[in-house]
Amino acid sequence: MGLEYVRISPGFEKYMPKDYVDLVQYGQFGRDIDVQQLGQFKELVEEHPMCAGCFMAYFIRVFYAALPKPEDTIVLGTAGCARLALSQAAVPFIYGNYGDTNAVASGLKRALSIRFPDKEKDVVVIAGDGGLIDIGFGMTMHSWFRREKFTTIMVDNEVYGNTGGQESGMSPKGVQLKMAPKGKQFEKINAVELAKTAGCVYVAKLSPTNPKRIAKTVKRAILAARHFGPTFIHAYTSCNIEYSIPTEKVLEDARKREKQDFGFYEWMTDEVKEFFEEMERKPEEVKA
Amino acid sequence: MYYVADVKETDCAKYNCKQCVLFCPEPNTLMYHDSKHVAWVNYSRCKGCAICVYVCSDLLKRNCIEMVMMTAGE
Repeated sequence: MGLEYVRISPGFEKYMPKDYVDLVQYGQFGRDIDVQQLGQFKELVEEHPMCAGCFMAYFIRVFYAALPKPEDTIVLGTAGCARLALSQAAVPFIYGNYGDTNAVASGLKRALSIRFPDKEKDVVVIAGDGGLIDIGFGMTMHSWFRREKFTTIMVDNEVYGNTGGQESGMSPKGVQLKMAPKGKQFEKINAVELAKTAGCVYVAKLSPTNPKRIAKTVKRAILAARHFGPTFIHAYTSCNIEYSIPTEKVLEDARKREKQDFGFYEWMTDEVKEFFEEMERKPEEVKA
Repeated sequence: MYYVADVKETDCAKYNCKQCVLFCPEPNTLMYHDSKHVAWVNYSRCKGCAICVYVCSDLLKRNCIEMVMMTAGE
């Protein structure tokens, strides 16, 4: 972790894999990248085995491009689709047991703040609806109750996609899935309100239809977590396999759901709001 | 044989747009050429989902990307 560990020792460039050399020379490390520059620099994520047209893979791609300091970040994940791409990125990744991501992240964040008291190290949890709100529910909630300073991102595909399509707490009411043939009997859990009640200082809900907005939300969640407390993003990342969405219609589906129940929503405490206003005002003052 | 996206360079160069690049779910696959101002595809990484075709043809009505069959090594 840290910029000095990323750089290649002089003389070793020709022995390193080309992808790694590209990553150091044309990548994000030590540079301030705008998400609009995607496609013009070497991205942190490499080829991964996620399905064609997977919008969770898309969200993860934009997430990595949005990291404010990738060289000082640790990402945690758990069993589920997201880990397939998360583990292929040039950012340290910790694979927790199912459901314990937020407990591991709590300890990690505390240890990092003791080991590096003068540096800002970001810890981000990205897990699915099963990992965070079903099986990991207790640990997720308790990390928020304890006001642990890290970001939790839920990539919500509304199903257990890896294991054949069982319903999750986040599946919408009435939906029929391969392993839920009678249709889901209960309402979708309102994770955003839970996060607000449990003590998160910044909460957002989005459908990935606008890369600039995803990047801004991710940046804000990470910065707010550095200084104030737990933050939470609820992202709709459809499962085109289990929900039988043709790959070319995945973006159309995300746009449709944005109009229905995944409209962009952002909530933050007053002190966080003040912090962002102050931060966004600063460049103008410098220019003046 | 692989089903991959292919950018029609002359058509794409007319527009200074990179919306397809911003919506591709695969990293380092649909890239943007800085000086030619066109998108280009790294064929060996493309999984053929055609989201870029939806963005270019259905949303923007520019029709600069098509899906083609390609054999390995092409």
